[in-house]
Amino acid sequence: MSLLEICQWLQDTQFGTSLRESIWMFPIVEGTHVMALSLSVGTLLWMDLRLTGTFMKTQPMSKVSSSVLPWTLAGFAIMTITGLLLFWCQAVKAYNSIFFKMKVAMLFLAALNAIAYHSTIYLRMDEWDKAIPPPRRARWAGWCSIVLWIGIIICGRTMAYNF
Amino acid sequence: MYYLFPFFKWCDNTWIAQTIRGSKYIFPVVEAIHLLGLTVLLGVMVIMSLRLFGFILRHESTRDVATDLRPYAWTSIGTMLVTGYLLFASEALKCYDSPSFRFKMVCLILALVFQFTVYHKATTSDKADSSPGFARITAILALVLWFGVGLGGRAIGFL
Repeated sequence: MSLLEICQWLQDTQFGTSLRESIWMFPIVEGTHVMALSLSVGTLLWMDLRLTGTFMKTQPMSKVSSSVLPWTLAGFAIMTITGLLLFWCQAVKAYNSIFFKMKVAMLFLAALNAIAYHSTIYLRMDEWDKAIPPPRRARWAGWCSIVLWIGIIICGRTMAYNF
Repeated sequence: MYYLFPFFKWCDNTWIAQTIRGSKYIFPVVEAIHLLGLTVLLGVMVIMSLRLFGFILRHESTRDVATDLRPYAWTSIGTMLVTGYLLFASEALKCYDSPSFRFKMVCLILALVFQFTVYHKATTSDKADSSPGFARITAILALVLWFGVGLGGRAIGFL
């Protein structure tokens, strides 16, 4: 089976069809996906801005990180669940959308950025916890994350259009 | 609300509204900026509410957290109002008939009034830190009103 055939099969499943054609479920899932932006990217943003050294400079990085991160992760859990449901019921539309492909590519890069940060400079945080500006790699991780998430939000919204 | 109809009609007829309708790209671009503004504004409200509840950043006063967040709050509210007006003007007659739009506007007016009065007082004085009950009620109302605005906005596309 090609990728397109898998997408077609997925959205033709009984679950995919009923979700797509439902009067209330689809708007609720999509509305939740949009509102959960506040909890996911809306809270991650403050950690990223602290990493860049432009925000909450009086607070140690570890405090900002440990305060915000559990809420951010809860937000991303909601985003993943609602995002997969939205993909499930319109997989072919997503397959044909250049914006969806860009979104997935940027999600992949954002994940790599997070892994790179957490496996290197994050482990040595006690050395730069209160340093303003934070080390260059931390600032880079923060800016890359902000730029990627702006791109992901724009591509997600623009998936609704066929130019 | 029929007496507001001429205003909606006037908005629909303005040059800027016609320009947005006549372009394939302006609406999606403005809409994407509106969504980025939503992320920042609701992000501010989530962090402030968590602080007002005393869940996070407890070692820093509510006033200090609010001071750090204030530029982002004002910038995002300004961005939302400008891009929101442009989106509205380009389909003002559709909005006139939309129950979701009416719900959104009621929430928006209440949210803005609340923001400039109770919320402002709670985040510029020490009252929130000395009175946890007041802080929690402020947080709940701010969340309900701003998320009401967001949900109402998303619902314009559906009903």
